[in-house]
Amino acid sequence: MLILGIETATPQVGCAVGDHEGIRAGFQAAHGRRHVETLVPAIGFVCRQGGVALEEISAVAVDVGPGLFSGLRVGVSAGKAVAQALRVPVIGVTSLDLLAFPVRHSSRLIVAAVDARRGELFYAFYRQVPGGVQRLSGYNVGSPAQMASELEARGEECLLVGDGALRYPDLVAEAGGCESGGASAAHPSATALVELAHPLAIREEFVQPWELEPMYLRRSDAEINWERRTPPDWAVTA
Amino acid sequence: MIACLTKSVDDTKALALAVSQLVGPGDLIVLGGDLGAGKTAFTQGLAQGLGVTEPVTSPAFVLVRSYAGRLPLTHIDVYRLDHLQEVFDLGIAEIVDGGGVTVVEWGDVVTPALPADLLEVRLDQGDADDDRRLVFDAVGPSWVPRMGALAAAVSRWTVDA
Repeated sequence: MLILGIETATPQVGCAVGDHEGIRAGFQAAHGRRHVETLVPAIGFVCRQGGVALEEISAVAVDVGPGLFSGLRVGVSAGKAVAQALRVPVIGVTSLDLLAFPVRHSSRLIVAAVDARRGELFYAFYRQVPGGVQRLSGYNVGSPAQMASELEARGEECLLVGDGALRYPDLVAEAGGCESGGASAAHPSATALVELAHPLAIREEFVQPWELEPMYLRRSDAEINWERRTPPDWAVTA
Repeated sequence: MIACLTKSVDDTKALALAVSQLVGPGDLIVLGGDLGAGKTAFTQGLAQGLGVTEPVTSPAFVLVRSYAGRLPLTHIDVYRLDHLQEVFDLGIAEIVDGGGVTVVEWGDVVTPALPADLLEVRLDQGDADDDRRLVFDAVGPSWVPRMGALAAAVSRWTVDA
C-alpha cells in the first residue's frame, strides 16, 4: 500500500512516498518558509524519483499540527486535494506524535515541543512502549516556563525534540537531566510520517478528505467587540 | 504616552514616515480609530519610510497584504472579522515572528489575539475637518524603551496629552 506523506507544520516543508518495504523517495526543504511554492512540485518530484504514478497511491498521510498556521493550511489543503482527486482516504497525524516517533528507542521521557510563537510552545510528553511511543499527556500550549515546571514536577531524565528546543535553549540548560535532540530532531519528517502512517493504514484508521482538520490548539469562542464598527458621520473614506 | 496633531492626510503620512525611522524587524504596530481616521494613510507614510515602492491600499477585503521594502511590511485589517478565532487563523503571531514590520488596522479591538509587545497608535478626529489627533502608547518590552526616541522623532507634531 503506497502512502504519500505531507508535512508542513514547521518552517520545514516535506513529502515522501513509501510502502511496507520502506521509503521510496523523500524531500525536505527548510529555506525561507516557502510551503506554497515548494510543496506541490515536491510531490511531483518524489513520485518521479520513487517511480510511483500518482494513481498508485492508496492513502495520503498529513501532519495536522499543531504548528505554523500558514504551513498547516498549505499541507492540509494539498492533502485533501490529492486525496479527493485520487478518491483515497486520509490519515491525520499530529506534529508532536511525529516528532516523538523517530526517538522511540530512547528510554527517557520524550518531550516534543514545537515553537508556537508569541513566547509559547505546543508540547506533549511521551514514553517508549513496545513498538512505538505512548503519549502521556494531552496536547498543550503554554510558556517555556510552564513546560519547565511540568518537567521539574516529573523529575525525570528527558529528551527534548522539536524546534521548541532550539528556540529556547535555556530551557534545556536549566531543566536538570534534560537533553536536546538538536537540529536533526527539530522538525517532523515526512519519511517518519509515511512510516508511522503505515500501521494506521493497515488498521484502517482513516478519515475522509473533507473530515481532515488542522489542529491549531489556540481556540477562542470570543466574538470581537465591535461597538465602534458603525462609521461616524464625518467619515468620508474607508 | 505621546499625543500629536496633524493638519491633513499628507501631514499624517509625514508623521508616519518619521515614525518609520524607529521601526525595526519584528515590530508590531496596531492602529485604532474610526473609519476615515487615517489608519491607511498612516500605513502609507510608514511604508514609504520602509522603502516600499508599490502603492499601499486598504487590506479591508483581502485581510492581509505583504510588501517588499527595506524591511518587509505586512498590512492587516481585521475590520471584516467577527470572531477572535478568525484573527488567530490569520497566523498573526507567525507573521510578526517572520522578522518584518506588521501593521494591524483595528488591532486595538483584538489585542487578546496579538503578541503583547506593540506600539498602539490611536487616531481621532480633531477640531477642524482635516485635523487628526494621534496618541502613541507602548505595550511590552520592545517599544517602551523607544518612547523617548519616538517623542524626539515626532516633536514637530507633539501636543499636550
